[in-house]
Amino acid sequence: MITNPDQTKPPAPSIAITAAKEPSTLDVSVGPQHPGSGHMRILIRVDGDYIVSVDPDIGYVHRGCEKIAEYRTAVSNVPHLERPCIIDAIHLNWGYVLPIEELQGVVVPPRGQYISTIAAEMNRIMSHLYWLAINAGVFSGHTTIFMYAFGDRDLFIELAEMLTGARLTYSFLPPGGPRRDLPAGFQNRLLKLLDYFERRLVEYDRIFFSNPLVIARAKGVGTLKREEAIKLGMTGPVLRGSGVKYDVRKVEPYGAYADLDFEIPTFEEGDSYARFLVRFEEMKQSIKIIRQALEKMPKGPIARKAPLIIPEGEAIGRVESSRGELTYMVKGDNSDKPSRVKIMNGSFRSLIAFPYLLRNVHVADMPIIYGSLDYWPLEADR
Amino acid sequence: MAIQSPTREEDLVNKLKARFPEAIKSSKIEGKHRITIPFDKDKLLDIAQFMRDELGFDHVKGVAGVDDPTHKKIEVLYFTGSLSKPEIEDLIVILQAELPRDNPTIASAVSVWESSHFHERETFEMFGVKFQGHPDLRKLLTLDNWEGPPPMLKDIKFPEMGQR
Repeated sequence: MITNPDQTKPPAPSIAITAAKEPSTLDVSVGPQHPGSGHMRILIRVDGDYIVSVDPDIGYVHRGCEKIAEYRTAVSNVPHLERPCIIDAIHLNWGYVLPIEELQGVVVPPRGQYISTIAAEMNRIMSHLYWLAINAGVFSGHTTIFMYAFGDRDLFIELAEMLTGARLTYSFLPPGGPRRDLPAGFQNRLLKLLDYFERRLVEYDRIFFSNPLVIARAKGVGTLKREEAIKLGMTGPVLRGSGVKYDVRKVEPYGAYADLDFEIPTFEEGDSYARFLVRFEEMKQSIKIIRQALEKMPKGPIARKAPLIIPEGEAIGRVESSRGELTYMVKGDNSDKPSRVKIMNGSFRSLIAFPYLLRNVHVADMPIIYGSLDYWPLEADR
Repeated sequence: MAIQSPTREEDLVNKLKARFPEAIKSSKIEGKHRITIPFDKDKLLDIAQFMRDELGFDHVKGVAGVDDPTHKKIEVLYFTGSLSKPEIEDLIVILQAELPRDNPTIASAVSVWESSHFHERETFEMFGVKFQGHPDLRKLLTLDNWEGPPPMLKDIKFPEMGQR
């Protein structure tokens, strides 16, 4: 029996390769279930109420996106490759289009860059609100924030529909630039919504982030130290919650981010609560970015005509998606179809952290730690 | 004539070439943020160790396989980067190894870069690349009852998905 759980040692090796099992332990299959985001399973070995070993078993929603992408043209891959994470569709789309534009030598005009940036930041807010509703709210038993965040997310979805024509799967950024200019009246509605949302964030803080029950539930739970986060190659809010200031929007600015002024929120603690706060602060920064982008919006064309073929060569593009650094490698062979598309996303990269985060914690802490990662099974499985 | 001092990227490449003159013969610097380094596959662990400890490339963003049936080879690409050194954090260094297509085998980098664990498992499953010394080289994504060659190889075709 574990009496004094040690959460500082490296985790035990995964269940599949551990030969002998202690008589006091029990193997439990958590899932395959659909925890608000897609099917996945975690095999855990428990000793009493403590988790001693973890084996993430994924692949329940694997669709072979990379293989299918080789059968589709550069443009018809746009709707296909945003499917792995539909609540973050703009980022998945943009990351795929960047290397293609690089190979084709197409430069998106400034106005197009600004519109893409606004769409991307709206998408970040929507994705974080989904996380707040399901992964933070429902998993910690806080149903009020679920209603609040889901309701407010829909207001952003309505505006996204006004801009792109679709609620979730936008396919808004084919190679060359965004499909549409800002519609009439969009700017005023968006500014009004941001004012409203800013007031709501104060409310969120009061009922959720400063709630003593949430703090008691999440603080000090599932700690990932700075060195571990770096060693495991974490990314996105998980990495910034462990105190590493790393954001693709700053280290390799794309879109209009180089012209805009914003902060990268980081927290030193590395626990679930720190990851909660990173996303909360990121929503505030997204508001700031959208306001600036609307103000500085240049005039001119929004898109250039891009060729239909992908020239020979390979290029790598990356964006900062809601779940962290999203890197695409696209290899072209002078045909209209890519010969290889490789997707490297935040969800798949956070798999390696499961054994670290779940070492010697209570089984009851599992949902909150899982929720704090914002792991999206469909994105990880592709 | 003034001698131009090497850029940060050239400096990194020169350090690697000086340390591994046999294994690293060429390199490709693209833009400001990308360096591709083809290397001799037997030297993966030494190069990884050197890059992590001396140059500061502390994690792997992904491991990709690329099948090339016309040249009878499978490429394995390690996308590495740095999170702890701000001066090189914007770089992606791609280590590129060429493996024979009939028996693709390479050492596993997990002992140096733990972050490559699941990426190598995926490449093993999708391209059949055997990573020697990997602690847990099992299938990851495909169904338990999937049988057949690794699905991402080019000669595995799915005609129902269209022409390729």
